[in-house]
Amino acid sequence: MREMASMIIVLSLICSASGFSLAYLRQATAPLIEAQVLENVQGPAITRVCPAADNQPVEERKAFELDGRRIMVFPYRQGGKLAGVALEGKGGGFGGDIGVMVGFNVNNDSLLGIGVTTMSETPGLGAKIAEPKFTRQFQGAAMPVEARTRGGAVDAISGATVSSLGAVSAVQAASRDYQALKPQILQAWQ
Amino acid sequence: MASVWKEFSKGLWAEIPPFRVVLGLCPTLAVTKSAENGIGMGLAVIFVLVLSNALISLVRKIIPKKVRIVCFIAIAATLVVAIELLMQAFTYPLYQQLGIFVPLIVVNCIILGRAEAFAAKNPVHLAIADGLGMGIGFTVALTFLGSLRELLGAGQLFGHAVMGGSFKPFTIMIEAPGAFIALGCLLALMNCISIVSARRAGKEPSVNAGGCGCGCCEVKQ
Repeated sequence: MREMASMIIVLSLICSASGFSLAYLRQATAPLIEAQVLENVQGPAITRVCPAADNQPVEERKAFELDGRRIMVFPYRQGGKLAGVALEGKGGGFGGDIGVMVGFNVNNDSLLGIGVTTMSETPGLGAKIAEPKFTRQFQGAAMPVEARTRGGAVDAISGATVSSLGAVSAVQAASRDYQALKPQILQAWQ
Repeated sequence: MASVWKEFSKGLWAEIPPFRVVLGLCPTLAVTKSAENGIGMGLAVIFVLVLSNALISLVRKIIPKKVRIVCFIAIAATLVVAIELLMQAFTYPLYQQLGIFVPLIVVNCIILGRAEAFAAKNPVHLAIADGLGMGIGFTVALTFLGSLRELLGAGQLFGHAVMGGSFKPFTIMIEAPGAFIALGCLLALMNCISIVSARRAGKEPSVNAGGCGCGCCEVKQ
């Protein structure tokens, strides 16, 4: 009985100490990690999506609230006027969520382009969704984006249907957020 | 002091983890595509190994024998998540390179092996020396393997081209099969060296790498 009690007490003590210290560390590193992700993952993707920006989309970013979610929106200016915005959408791929940065043209609601931010798809197969051959298809695409197998215009990569559809659904998620947020976006930057 | 040095130095050559006791092969094979990755992985393992050895040695007297493995794993897992967060916060590109192998440090046999075989039975200063020695040995081994594969597979060393323009890289060396080929050759070389040096000393050569089983990592009791 005493042994049992000591087992329970020691294990609970160790686990709660580890829980508390990790919770503290997580809080302490959260802003640093967000900055690193912006610099290393989202920054390059934004440059790919809006290469001709004459402002700093990352520094002028703003967070919007939508259904309790926090969505980061990056403005894209040309000649001082808001030309488009970029925001990230997620879709389920073959190896977890695929994050895609999608640029939208605010004047005619078409897509400026996409850039893959995070994914863990199979190298050589699903990972091809990050290559220009696939992402190019989204440049200038009109809004309801859909894969060809489902009646749309986006060709999936052969052998990587799940990854391709995941990328498409990430673009669709970003599109839905964009349409819901458009009035607020226009108000914020114009 | 002599005993601290003895525990520290055994990890550097006599029991160098991937080559002698052949432990921790999963990261050894998977992340050594380049010398830089090898160093990064090695440093993460040093951090986890030294702290886990120290903590386990500190609490070794209060841990009941029946739940010791669970306690060791809880401590190692905490440290691994900590290093994962720190890597994301400060060295994000390296974290992207190492990917899933950072969280997998927790199941690296070296961590649990040293905890069970050494830290749980020895005072803190010896446990730290042991962890540091083993960690540095692991880092040196990974960096060496990584340099070898990077040199042959990409003609580079730490990202700098060193082999000259006429060198055609053997791409296979930075793919998965190259890891096995390079490790196999190194293990053979290590055995060769130990046989020769044992003969010189006039002793019967004992080849242990690969065939050492549980006896030499002392996990069995």
